Amino acid sequence: MRRDQMTPLERLAAYGAGAPIDRLPCVPIVGNTAARVIGVKVGDFRGNGALIAEAQVAAYRLFGYDTIRIFTDLYTQSEAMGAKVTYPEDETAFLAAPAIDDLGDIDRLRPADPHRDGYLPQHLEAMRRAVEQVGNEVAVTGAVTCPFTNASFLVGADKLARLMMRAPEKVHHLCELSLQTNIAYAGAIIDAGCTPSLTDAMSSMSVISPRQFREFSFPYLKRLIDYIHGRGKSVTLHICGKTAGIWESMVEAGADCLSIDNDADLGEVRLAVGDRVRLMGNVHPSEVMLQGIPDAVRRATLSCLAQAKDSPKGFIVASGCSLPTETPFANIHAMLDTVRAAGWPAKC
Amino acid sequence: MSASEQELFQRLSDAVVEMDEDESVAVANEVVERGIDAYRAIEQGLSAGMERAGQLFDEEEYFIPELLMCSDAMYAGMDVLKPHLRSDDVAEKRKVVIGVVEGDTHDIGKNLVKIMLETSGFAVTDLGRDIPPARFVETAKEIGADIIALSTLMTTTMEGMGAVVRQLSEEGIRDRFKVIVGGGPISQGFADRIGADGYAVNAADAIRLARALVAPAEAAA
Ligand code: B12
Repeated sequence: MRRDQMTPLERLAAYGAGAPIDRLPCVPIVGNTAARVIGVKVGDFRGNGALIAEAQVAAYRLFGYDTIRIFTDLYTQSEAMGAKVTYPEDETAFLAAPAIDDLGDIDRLRPADPHRDGYLPQHLEAMRRAVEQVGNEVAVTGAVTCPFTNASFLVGADKLARLMMRAPEKVHHLCELSLQTNIAYAGAIIDAGCTPSLTDAMSSMSVISPRQFREFSFPYLKRLIDYIHGRGKSVTLHICGKTAGIWESMVEAGADCLSIDNDADLGEVRLAVGDRVRLMGNVHPSEVMLQGIPDAVRRATLSCLAQAKDSPKGFIVASGCSLPTETPFANIHAMLDTVRAAGWPAKC
Repeated sequence: MSASEQELFQRLSDAVVEMDEDESVAVANEVVERGIDAYRAIEQGLSAGMERAGQLFDEEEYFIPELLMCSDAMYAGMDVLKPHLRSDDVAEKRKVVIGVVEGDTHDIGKNLVKIMLETSGFAVTDLGRDIPPARFVETAKEIGADIIALSTLMTTTMEGMGAVVRQLSEEGIRDRFKVIVGGGPISQGFADRIGADGYAVNAADAIRLARALVAPAEAAA
């Protein structure tokens, strides 16, 4: 199998400048699978920045993909604002209860302080440590759950959806509080030498309409992205589920790279906005990466390449969403090996 | 008077589609005052409205927020009409236990299926999310459910559905309940493999499925 000739940082810099590269960038989005790489339990990551960094760096070294993403679950910021999170011993954490039960308590909510609240300090520590260890060769990113999705963890998804119709000003208030947390956290991530990586599941058209996205999600996303741009970093925005009706808005919000999942069509997104933003996607994280055999991964990866390899603003071969914890290593290797074999300009 | 009866049903249906709780309550009160059959008002008014709302969801005219508001309007009207149902209407209700399987907390889709089932006259016990297999079985036995409805959006938690079916078989009570399954990664093939009685791709089909599954028993009764 072909070996990489460039480091991820060299590759992305050259790719961005239109210079020759050894292969296209490739990011199977590894989250808690990293625990398997160093043989620890997912629950051990709780509040342990050193361990998260160790696992993420080991996973990067094993697979050789192009960005490290410090991510354990979606709830770190909402937890720092009062949401209750359940940590199973060896599975990804989930929301046990939103920050407030009673809307009367809405005035008690405060933006989180990333240096003090919840496990945000430990996540920042993980980022600093990863940068210390491999920051000279690969970009380290820190996951940020965007305002609208974070707001849903403050009051609960159904309640937020009803408030959108009954008391829109409350939704705006929750998004504003979330944005303040996001901005403070994004700032701390950049201070740690990393780049914020944005994720926003609830903004999906699987849940809300493009019009509702414009009203409740877009303004806050745009301000968050403006802030990150102001600090000199470019922005990758991931929204899962159906997104075709909001691609334009995602671009207008300022995203430099759209990460789309398998419910969206790579060929279509390329035609729609590929001339303005870089694209990233979209091998099925569960059907192919978790359940498939390496040959299925190879075929799916080639199909992504065929659809988007020469997208004008660039393309990063990736999974549609973060990988399930038990994704076989052989499948992650298969994705990268396929991209290595395709070379550059990519042949498929 | 039957024309205006139809008119009232239409207004109930419209109130649901237009997410107008006040109108739904007002029309439901009018139904009661005029002694019109509450059961038919629910079925041809409120339920019909919720079904239209479901269609609008499939057509991407409505999204989750609108559907939840429609269901609020429906429940508001239902609260007015329920006390006026004749006892034989109430007794006929089929029972469903619904929940999201263990390890999964995605519950938006499950909530929609629950709403639509209630709309269509099922009595639904909602266990919530992250539910271990044994709790589905216990609850189904406890309330004498006709149907056990399992939801999951994650590949990693699908097996919990198979576990429910297995437990029913082990306890020798598999044929006392119909098991239906749904959610993103679920397919007819998967449903067949684990020995479930049915799969539906969305809430509207879930209703048709649930009705079909209890229909033969109904005819025999
Ligand atoms: C919104 C969302 C969330 C929200 C959920 C909020 C909530 N309270 O539910 C939040 C942000 C919390 C979330 C969290 C996570 N999510 Co999520 N999420 C989504 C998203 C974007 C939309 C889901 C949705 O609500 N759709 C709208 C509803 C109406 O549709 P539905 O649920 O499919 O339901 C319909 C039908 O399926 C059917 N149906 C549903 N249930 C039943 C039951 C029966 C009996 C029947 C007959 C029919 C039926 O009828 C419904 C109505 O028509 C999907 C993307 C997608 N492609 O679906 C990802 C997705 C489901 N999430 C995913 C993942 C991985 C996660 C996380 C693990 C992320 C993480 N790494 O932390 C966590 C889960 C933590 C946990 N353990 O639970 C993956 C699952 C992958 C897989 N196949 O395993 C998806 C598919 C994204 C992706 N492309 O990878 N998520």
